[in-house]
Amino acid sequence: MLTTIKTIFYFGPLLFGLGFIAPLAAQILERLEAPLPFGLTPLIAGLILGAAWGTYAQVKGRWA
Amino acid sequence: MSTAAATDLRALPEAELIRREREIASRHLDKFPYLAVFWAFANFATWLALWPLVFTGTLPLWAAFPIATLNIMLSYLPSHEAQHDIIAKPGTKLRWLNELIGHMSTTPLVLPYRVARLTHMEHHKHANHPELDPDYSSTATGPWDSIWGTIKNNQPRSAGGFNAYGKTLERIGRPDVILDGVLYQLAFYGILFALAWSGYAIEAALLWWLPRHIATIYIRFYLSWAPHHPGQETGRYRDTRSFRSIFGNIGSMGMQYHVIHHLHPRIPLYRTPRAYWEMRDILEARGCDVGGLK
Repeated sequence: MLTTIKTIFYFGPLLFGLGFIAPLAAQILERLEAPLPFGLTPLIAGLILGAAWGTYAQVKGRWA
Repeated sequence: MSTAAATDLRALPEAELIRREREIASRHLDKFPYLAVFWAFANFATWLALWPLVFTGTLPLWAAFPIATLNIMLSYLPSHEAQHDIIAKPGTKLRWLNELIGHMSTTPLVLPYRVARLTHMEHHKHANHPELDPDYSSTATGPWDSIWGTIKNNQPRSAGGFNAYGKTLERIGRPDVILDGVLYQLAFYGILFALAWSGYAIEAALLWWLPRHIATIYIRFYLSWAPHHPGQETGRYRDTRSFRSIFGNIGSMGMQYHVIHHLHPRIPLYRTPRAYWEMRDILEARGCDVGGLK
Protein backbone atom coordinates (compact mmCIF):
# COMPACT_ATOMS: atom_id res chain seq x y z
CA MET A 1 0.00 0.00 0.00
CA LEU A 2 2.76 2.42 1.02
CA THR A 3 4.72 1.58 -2.14
CA THR A 4 1.62 2.26 -4.26
CA ILE A 5 1.06 5.65 -2.61
CA LYS A 6 4.72 6.59 -2.96
CA THR A 7 4.62 5.61 -6.64
CA ILE A 8 1.49 7.72 -7.21
CA PHE A 9 3.13 10.74 -5.60
CA TYR A 10 6.40 10.15 -7.45
CA PHE A 11 4.58 10.28 -10.78
CA GLY A 12 2.38 13.17 -9.58
CA PRO A 13 3.31 15.68 -12.31
CA LEU A 14 2.77 13.16 -15.11
CA LEU A 15 -0.53 12.03 -13.59
CA PHE A 16 -1.63 15.65 -13.23
CA GLY A 17 -0.75 16.26 -16.88
CA LEU A 18 -2.86 13.34 -18.05
CA GLY A 19 -5.55 13.47 -15.38
CA PHE A 20 -6.26 17.20 -15.33
CA ILE A 21 -4.36 19.26 -17.89
CA ALA A 22 -5.38 16.97 -20.77
CA PRO A 23 -9.17 17.19 -20.25
CA LEU A 24 -8.88 20.86 -19.24
CA ALA A 25 -7.03 21.72 -22.45
CA ALA A 26 -9.49 19.64 -24.50
CA GLN A 27 -12.51 21.43 -23.00
CA ILE A 28 -10.92 24.86 -23.49
CA LEU A 29 -10.15 24.04 -27.14
CA GLU A 30 -13.72 22.81 -27.62
CA ARG A 31 -15.21 26.00 -26.18
CA LEU A 32 -12.93 28.18 -28.28
CA GLU A 33 -13.71 26.09 -31.36
CA ALA A 34 -10.03 26.49 -32.16
CA PRO A 35 -8.88 25.05 -35.50
CA LEU A 36 -6.44 22.19 -34.84
CA PRO A 37 -3.65 20.94 -37.15
CA PHE A 38 -3.47 17.43 -38.68
CA GLY A 39 -7.15 16.85 -38.03
CA LEU A 40 -6.57 16.44 -34.30
CA THR A 41 -9.60 16.27 -32.06
CA PRO A 42 -9.60 18.52 -28.96
CA LEU A 43 -9.18 15.43 -26.76
CA ILE A 44 -6.13 14.14 -28.63
CA ALA A 45 -4.62 17.63 -28.64
CA GLY A 46 -5.29 17.89 -24.90
CA LEU A 47 -3.70 14.51 -24.25
CA ILE A 48 -0.60 15.48 -26.26
CA LEU A 49 -0.30 18.75 -24.33
CA GLY A 50 -0.99 17.13 -20.95
CA ALA A 51 1.45 14.29 -21.56
CA ALA A 52 4.18 16.62 -22.85
CA TRP A 53 3.80 19.18 -20.06
CA GLY A 54 3.45 16.50 -17.41
CA THR A 55 6.57 14.75 -18.66
CA TYR A 56 8.48 18.04 -18.63
CA ALA A 57 7.42 18.70 -15.00
CA GLN A 58 8.18 15.09 -14.08
CA VAL A 59 11.74 15.37 -15.39
CA LYS A 60 12.48 18.97 -14.37
CA GLY A 61 10.60 19.05 -11.05
CA ARG A 62 8.85 22.29 -12.02
CA TRP A 63 6.08 23.32 -14.39
CA ALA A 64 7.95 26.06 -16.29
CA MET B 1 0.75 57.61 23.94
CA SER B 2 3.70 58.45 21.72
CA THR B 3 7.19 57.23 21.07
CA ALA B 4 8.25 59.54 23.91
CA ALA B 5 6.06 57.42 26.15
CA ALA B 6 7.97 54.37 25.01
CA THR B 7 11.19 56.13 25.96
CA ASP B 8 9.80 56.75 29.44
CA LEU B 9 8.70 53.13 29.70
CA ARG B 10 12.24 51.95 28.97
CA ALA B 11 13.28 53.33 32.33
CA LEU B 12 10.98 50.84 34.08
CA PRO B 13 12.24 47.46 35.27
CA GLU B 14 11.58 44.60 32.83
CA ALA B 15 9.33 42.88 35.38
CA GLU B 16 7.06 45.94 35.45
CA LEU B 17 6.86 46.04 31.64
CA ILE B 18 5.96 42.35 31.60
CA ARG B 19 3.31 42.93 34.26
CA ARG B 20 1.73 45.79 32.30
CA GLU B 21 1.86 43.83 29.06
CA ARG B 22 0.19 40.82 30.66
CA GLU B 23 -2.44 43.00 32.28
CA ILE B 24 -3.41 44.44 28.90
CA ALA B 25 -3.35 40.99 27.27
CA SER B 26 -5.61 39.58 29.99
CA ARG B 27 -8.32 42.10 29.03
CA HIS B 28 -8.51 40.55 25.55
CA LEU B 29 -8.25 36.87 26.40
CA ASP B 30 -11.15 34.42 26.72
CA LYS B 31 -13.46 36.39 24.44
CA PHE B 32 -15.64 34.15 22.30
CA PRO B 33 -14.85 34.88 18.63
CA TYR B 34 -18.40 35.08 17.23
CA LEU B 35 -17.09 36.59 14.01
CA ALA B 36 -14.66 33.74 13.37
CA VAL B 37 -17.40 31.15 13.98
CA PHE B 38 -19.84 32.88 11.61
CA TRP B 39 -17.02 33.45 9.11
CA ALA B 40 -16.06 29.75 9.15
CA PHE B 41 -19.56 28.45 8.40
CA ALA B 42 -20.62 31.23 6.00
CA ASN B 43 -17.40 31.00 4.03
CA PHE B 44 -17.41 27.21 3.72
CA ALA B 45 -21.14 27.10 2.87
CA THR B 46 -20.70 29.76 0.19
CA TRP B 47 -17.83 27.87 -1.44
CA LEU B 48 -19.82 24.60 -1.38
CA ALA B 49 -22.90 26.34 -2.81
CA LEU B 50 -20.93 27.58 -5.80
CA TRP B 51 -20.67 24.05 -7.20
CA PRO B 52 -24.41 23.31 -7.67
CA LEU B 53 -25.04 26.94 -8.62
CA VAL B 54 -22.50 26.71 -11.44
CA PHE B 55 -23.38 23.16 -12.50
CA THR B 56 -27.08 24.03 -12.80
CA GLY B 57 -26.32 27.22 -14.73
CA THR B 58 -27.77 29.43 -11.98
CA LEU B 59 -24.49 31.31 -11.54
CA PRO B 60 -22.07 31.93 -14.42
CA LEU B 61 -18.58 30.57 -13.94
CA TRP B 62 -16.98 33.98 -14.51
CA ALA B 63 -18.87 35.28 -11.45
CA ALA B 64 -18.21 32.18 -9.35
CA PHE B 65 -14.44 32.23 -9.92
CA PRO B 66 -13.68 35.42 -7.91
CA ILE B 67 -16.08 34.32 -5.17
CA ALA B 68 -14.35 30.94 -4.91
CA THR B 69 -10.97 32.67 -4.82
CA LEU B 70 -12.13 34.94 -1.99
CA ASN B 71 -13.62 31.94 -0.14
CA ILE B 72 -10.35 30.01 -0.22
CA MET B 73 -8.33 33.11 0.70
CA LEU B 74 -10.59 33.45 3.76
CA SER B 75 -10.53 29.76 4.63
CA TYR B 76 -7.39 29.71 6.76
CA LEU B 77 -8.04 32.14 9.61
CA PRO B 78 -11.04 30.47 11.32
CA SER B 79 -8.93 27.30 11.49
CA HIS B 80 -6.09 29.39 12.86
CA GLU B 81 -8.34 30.51 15.75
CA ALA B 82 -9.14 26.83 16.38
CA GLN B 83 -5.46 25.85 16.24
CA HIS B 84 -4.90 28.16 19.22
CA ASP B 85 -7.98 26.85 21.09
CA ILE B 86 -9.50 30.35 20.93
CA ILE B 87 -13.00 29.10 20.10
CA ALA B 88 -12.98 26.58 22.96
CA LYS B 89 -10.24 25.13 25.14
CA PRO B 90 -9.76 21.36 25.55
CA GLY B 91 -12.27 19.89 27.96
CA THR B 92 -14.85 22.66 27.59
CA LYS B 93 -18.45 22.32 26.38
CA LEU B 94 -17.84 23.88 22.96
CA ARG B 95 -14.63 22.00 22.23
CA TRP B 96 -16.41 20.10 19.44
CA LEU B 97 -17.06 23.44 17.71
CA ASN B 98 -13.41 24.41 17.94
CA GLU B 99 -12.37 21.13 16.34
CA LEU B 100 -15.15 21.19 13.72
CA ILE B 101 -14.13 24.66 12.56
CA GLY B 102 -10.47 23.65 12.59
CA HIS B 103 -11.12 20.69 10.31
CA MET B 104 -13.79 22.25 8.12
CA SER B 105 -12.46 25.67 7.25
CA THR B 106 -9.16 24.68 5.64
CA THR B 107 -10.71 21.90 3.54
CA PRO B 108 -10.87 24.08 0.39
CA LEU B 109 -7.21 24.90 0.96
CA VAL B 110 -6.43 21.14 1.09
CA LEU B 111 -4.62 21.67 4.39
CA PRO B 112 -5.45 19.11 7.09
CA TYR B 113 -6.17 20.58 10.52
CA ARG B 114 -3.72 18.38 12.41
CA VAL B 115 -0.92 19.23 9.96
CA ALA B 116 -1.77 22.93 10.17
CA ARG B 117 -1.92 22.94 13.98
CA LEU B 118 1.26 20.98 14.68
CA THR B 119 3.36 22.86 12.12
CA HIS B 120 1.91 26.20 13.22
CA MET B 121 2.92 25.54 16.83
CA GLU B 122 6.44 24.88 15.57
CA HIS B 123 6.31 28.16 13.65
CA HIS B 124 5.47 29.94 16.92
CA LYS B 125 8.28 28.19 18.80
CA HIS B 126 10.92 28.80 16.13
CA ALA B 127 9.75 31.75 14.01
CA ASN B 128 12.47 32.83 11.53
CA HIS B 129 14.77 29.92 12.39
CA PRO B 130 16.12 28.66 9.04
CA GLU B 131 16.01 24.98 10.05
CA LEU B 132 13.17 24.77 12.57
CA ASP B 133 10.52 27.22 11.35
CA PRO B 134 8.29 25.29 8.90
CA ASP B 135 7.31 28.61 7.27
CA TYR B 136 10.85 29.87 6.84
CA SER B 137 10.62 29.33 3.07
CA SER B 138 8.25 32.34 3.00
CA THR B 139 11.12 34.75 3.68
CA ALA B 140 11.78 37.00 0.70
CA THR B 141 13.53 40.24 -0.18
CA GLY B 142 10.30 42.08 -1.04
CA PRO B 143 6.63 41.72 -2.05
CA TRP B 144 7.25 40.44 -5.59
CA ASP B 145 9.94 38.07 -4.38
CA SER B 146 7.42 36.71 -1.85
CA ILE B 147 4.85 36.03 -4.59
CA TRP B 148 7.47 34.44 -6.84
CA GLY B 149 8.80 32.44 -3.89
CA THR B 150 5.35 30.95 -3.19
CA ILE B 151 4.99 29.98 -6.86
CA LYS B 152 8.40 28.30 -6.71
CA ASN B 153 7.51 26.57 -3.43
CA ASN B 154 4.42 25.08 -5.11
CA GLN B 155 6.50 23.28 -7.72
CA PRO B 156 6.63 19.46 -7.54
CA ARG B 157 10.15 19.07 -6.17
CA SER B 158 10.24 22.17 -3.99
CA ALA B 159 11.37 21.71 -0.40
CA GLY B 160 9.48 24.80 0.79
CA GLY B 161 5.87 25.84 1.29
CA PHE B 162 3.47 23.09 2.32
CA ASN B 163 6.13 20.58 1.16
CA ALA B 164 8.26 21.58 4.17
CA TYR B 165 5.60 20.46 6.64
CA GLY B 166 6.37 16.74 6.26
CA LYS B 167 9.95 17.32 7.41
CA THR B 168 8.70 19.23 10.46
CA LEU B 169 6.22 16.49 11.38
CA GLU B 170 9.01 13.90 11.23
CA ARG B 171 11.30 16.09 13.35
CA ILE B 172 8.72 16.49 16.12
CA GLY B 173 7.95 12.78 16.15
CA ARG B 174 4.52 12.94 14.47
CA PRO B 175 5.11 11.25 11.09
CA ASP B 176 1.66 9.64 11.53
CA VAL B 177 0.06 13.01 10.75
CA ILE B 178 1.68 13.00 7.30
CA LEU B 179 -1.04 10.46 6.42
CA ASP B 180 -3.63 13.25 6.80
CA GLY B 181 -1.79 15.22 4.15
CA VAL B 182 -1.54 12.18 1.88
CA LEU B 183 -5.28 11.49 2.15
CA TYR B 184 -6.20 15.13 1.53
CA GLN B 185 -3.96 15.23 -1.55
CA LEU B 186 -5.35 11.96 -2.91
CA ALA B 187 -8.93 13.17 -2.37
CA PHE B 188 -8.21 16.59 -3.90
CA TYR B 189 -6.58 15.28 -7.05
CA GLY B 190 -9.05 12.38 -7.25
CA ILE B 191 -11.97 14.85 -7.27
CA LEU B 192 -10.23 17.15 -9.76
CA PHE B 193 -9.48 14.27 -12.14
CA ALA B 194 -13.00 12.84 -11.83
CA LEU B 195 -14.59 16.22 -12.52
CA ALA B 196 -12.22 16.89 -15.41
CA TRP B 197 -12.91 13.58 -17.14
CA SER B 198 -16.67 14.02 -16.57
CA GLY B 199 -16.63 17.19 -18.65
CA TYR B 200 -16.21 19.72 -15.83
CA ALA B 201 -12.49 20.48 -16.08
CA ILE B 202 -12.94 24.25 -16.53
CA GLU B 203 -15.35 24.37 -13.59
CA ALA B 204 -12.92 22.39 -11.40
CA ALA B 205 -10.06 24.65 -12.45
CA LEU B 206 -11.91 27.88 -11.71
CA LEU B 207 -13.76 26.82 -8.55
CA TRP B 208 -10.93 25.02 -6.80
CA TRP B 209 -7.56 24.50 -8.52
CA LEU B 210 -6.71 28.07 -9.56
CA PRO B 211 -8.42 29.78 -6.56
CA ARG B 212 -6.38 27.55 -4.26
CA HIS B 213 -3.14 28.64 -5.94
CA ILE B 214 -4.09 32.32 -5.75
CA ALA B 215 -5.20 31.91 -2.12
CA THR B 216 -1.93 30.20 -1.20
CA ILE B 217 0.03 33.14 -2.60
CA TYR B 218 -2.16 35.61 -0.70
CA ILE B 219 -2.06 33.68 2.58
CA ARG B 220 1.70 33.18 2.40
CA PHE B 221 2.13 36.86 1.62
CA TYR B 222 0.09 38.26 4.50
CA LEU B 223 0.36 35.53 7.13
CA SER B 224 3.94 34.44 6.63
CA TRP B 225 5.99 36.97 4.74
CA ALA B 226 4.74 40.45 5.65
CA PRO B 227 4.57 40.12 9.46
CA HIS B 228 7.94 38.37 9.73
CA HIS B 229 9.88 40.35 7.14
CA PRO B 230 12.90 40.55 6.93
CA GLY B 231 12.88 37.24 8.81
CA GLN B 232 16.40 37.56 10.15
CA GLU B 233 15.79 37.75 13.88
CA THR B 234 14.48 35.19 16.33
CA GLY B 235 13.00 35.61 19.79
CA ARG B 236 9.39 36.49 20.69
CA TYR B 237 9.92 40.23 20.69
CA ARG B 238 11.95 40.38 17.48
CA ASP B 239 10.60 37.70 15.14
CA THR B 240 7.39 39.54 14.22
CA ARG B 241 6.60 43.15 13.36
CA SER B 242 3.66 45.44 12.86
CA PHE B 243 3.22 46.90 9.38
CA ARG B 244 0.79 48.97 7.35
CA SER B 245 -0.82 47.29 4.37
CA ILE B 246 -2.04 49.23 1.34
CA PHE B 247 -5.18 47.07 1.56
CA GLY B 248 -5.79 48.02 5.19
CA ASN B 249 -6.33 45.70 8.11
CA ILE B 250 -9.26 43.83 6.55
CA GLY B 251 -7.48 43.45 3.19
CA SER B 252 -4.48 42.00 4.98
CA MET B 253 -6.68 39.71 7.11
CA GLY B 254 -5.79 41.48 10.36
CA MET B 255 -2.11 40.72 9.97
CA GLN B 256 -0.94 44.30 10.52
CA TYR B 257 -1.11 43.48 14.24
CA HIS B 258 0.44 40.01 14.01
CA VAL B 259 3.06 40.92 16.61
CA ILE B 260 0.27 40.73 19.21
CA HIS B 261 -0.62 37.25 18.02
CA HIS B 262 2.93 35.98 18.40
CA LEU B 263 3.25 37.39 21.89
CA HIS B 264 -0.23 36.41 23.07
CA PRO B 265 -1.52 33.72 20.67
CA ARG B 266 -4.82 33.18 22.49
CA ILE B 267 -6.07 36.72 21.88
CA PRO B 268 -8.77 36.39 19.19
CA LEU B 269 -7.98 37.96 15.83
CA TYR B 270 -10.70 40.61 16.14
CA ARG B 271 -9.20 41.86 19.44
CA THR B 272 -5.60 42.21 18.19
CA PRO B 273 -5.97 45.81 16.89
CA ARG B 274 -7.26 47.07 20.26
CA ALA B 275 -4.66 45.08 22.16
CA TYR B 276 -1.96 46.48 19.88
CA TRP B 277 -2.84 50.14 20.42
CA GLU B 278 -3.10 49.62 24.18
CA MET B 279 0.22 47.75 24.27
CA ARG B 280 2.15 49.51 21.52
CA ASP B 281 4.47 51.65 23.65
CA ILE B 282 5.28 48.74 25.94
CA LEU B 283 6.14 46.66 22.89
CA GLU B 284 8.37 49.42 21.58
CA ALA B 285 10.06 49.69 24.97
CA ARG B 286 10.64 45.94 24.94
CA GLY B 287 12.37 46.15 21.55
CA CYS B 288 9.62 45.09 19.13
CA ASP B 289 9.60 46.46 15.59
CA VAL B 290 6.41 48.51 15.74
CA GLY B 291 7.60 51.27 13.45
CA GLY B 292 5.14 50.22 10.77
CA LEU B 293 2.10 51.25 12.80
CA LYS B 294 2.54 54.40 14.85
